[in-house]
Amino acid sequence: MNTVLGIGFTLLAGLALAKLLNKIKFPAVTAYLLLGILVGPSVGSLLSGELLQSSALVSNIVLGMIAFGIGQNFSIENFRRIGKSVLWISVLEATGAWIFVTLAFLFILHQPFYIALVFGAIASATAPAATVMVIREFRSKGNFTDTLLGVVAIDDAWCLIIFAVSLAVAQAIYNHMLAGFFLFKVFSASLLTIVGAFVLGAIVAALLSSLSKFLRSQAELLILTIGFVFLTIGLALRFHLSVLLSNMFFGAVLINIDKTPLKFFESLKTIDPPLFLLFFVLAGANLEISILPKLGLIGITYLISRVLGKMCGAGVGAHFARAQSNIKKYLGLALIPQAGVALGCALIAKNDFPDVGNMIFTTIIATTVIYEIIGPLCTKYALHKAGDVALQSSSP
Amino acid sequence: MLIKEIMSKNVITVKRNTTLKALLKIFIKFHIFPLVPVVDAQGHLAGIVSFRNLLNVFRPYNPEVLKAVPFLDEEEGEDIFHIDLTEEIGDLVVVEDIMEKKVVSLTEEATLEEAFNLMKMHLKEEFPVVDKGGRLVGMIGIFDIIREVFRQKGVV
Repeated sequence: MNTVLGIGFTLLAGLALAKLLNKIKFPAVTAYLLLGILVGPSVGSLLSGELLQSSALVSNIVLGMIAFGIGQNFSIENFRRIGKSVLWISVLEATGAWIFVTLAFLFILHQPFYIALVFGAIASATAPAATVMVIREFRSKGNFTDTLLGVVAIDDAWCLIIFAVSLAVAQAIYNHMLAGFFLFKVFSASLLTIVGAFVLGAIVAALLSSLSKFLRSQAELLILTIGFVFLTIGLALRFHLSVLLSNMFFGAVLINIDKTPLKFFESLKTIDPPLFLLFFVLAGANLEISILPKLGLIGITYLISRVLGKMCGAGVGAHFARAQSNIKKYLGLALIPQAGVALGCALIAKNDFPDVGNMIFTTIIATTVIYEIIGPLCTKYALHKAGDVALQSSSP
Repeated sequence: MLIKEIMSKNVITVKRNTTLKALLKIFIKFHIFPLVPVVDAQGHLAGIVSFRNLLNVFRPYNPEVLKAVPFLDEEEGEDIFHIDLTEEIGDLVVVEDIMEKKVVSLTEEATLEEAFNLMKMHLKEEFPVVDKGGRLVGMIGIFDIIREVFRQKGVV
């Protein structure tokens, strides 16, 4: 199948499968991922090599775009609004998963520190699609639901920060393993990645904001916005800065300095869906089924330690925020699904660590499928136990 | 020309704590639900309620919270004819629960051209107008601008 035909087929098949799986209450992202596995080289081999090779390009573009969108969370008004429960819980459930998975990989699986750190950072991500779908299905309402929605809305921002910092440290360890002044190099390389990303994001945001006064139409707005997002991705890659952080800082600075910043984010949303579909299908297509049998223990350790980390982190966060007891007990259980952000981070790790990248990526994709199946069941259970689902709804 | 010269200055506003029942009563005789500014005690613009926000009453949560979340499935919209609402909703839901808090507004010193461009850019036909202190002073609609252009050209 030639590349253009492959893209056309992927878009249409993805839409059809998403509609089909929606009937049994699976989010579209799960359908796209499964389609990718089915048409990828491990199963159907329907996609051209050229299209598969573009996975890194597509994932960089999509991750840059979502990081830019996630940057919106950092408006001063948003921080005033979200409240301390959501803030504490979201920060601690993300760091809880990061710490638990990193420690589990270090002390149970005896993996090198940089690998453990990357797995830990990826574990901090949560996928809101499945969670929101369950809330919509059961029309759940109440404090627990409000806190859950607030947490899933912001926690990918913490994940991007955790992942960018962890990746910088892991890369520094990986590249300077044998060099002298080891700690100094790790520290300076990590700091450069973060500060550089902030400087780049801030400059681009200031440029976009000042140039936007010359815009006269929606088409010009879309072109200018996407041009600057691509520019930021490209410059971050060129200067070895974090694509995720650069674009997140770009969005974060823009939302705070521009008078009417929402127009940029809204315009980008109009081209998201087909790109996101392609991103998930290509992620699924990159799964190497032959590695799966070797990943049993790694996969199980990741699955369990991430859930424990989310539950403990959310519980401690709720305790600090003096939230209700049902939030302390059950909120972590509703945060199990992982998908887009985790897959994107895993794709970056795959490219940055060639010798272990396939192992990292295949573990994440396999656990994503498992989490997307069990996650909604756990969310239903948590919502029922928390008392946010009316009695007439069906039981979990 | 500045928008303060042609904007509507007599605007019906509501407060954050206005109940849904009171909100609906105000506009019961209108044939469309207008864009309603929400103001605080000092008259500062706090938000906006449109007919889309009224539909949020039928939703289990306010979708505004998920605006920045990637990879969400598109909402099909609520089946308002088959969702049970109790009478108490009218008193329990207040404007603050459903209003849009991120509002694009114009300052009264903006020109007609600036207002017109902003409407094109945001695909909106009406904007609240505030003074330098953020207090609501009026509303400007696309028809106000078009009418003024026709007037300047002598058509009316």
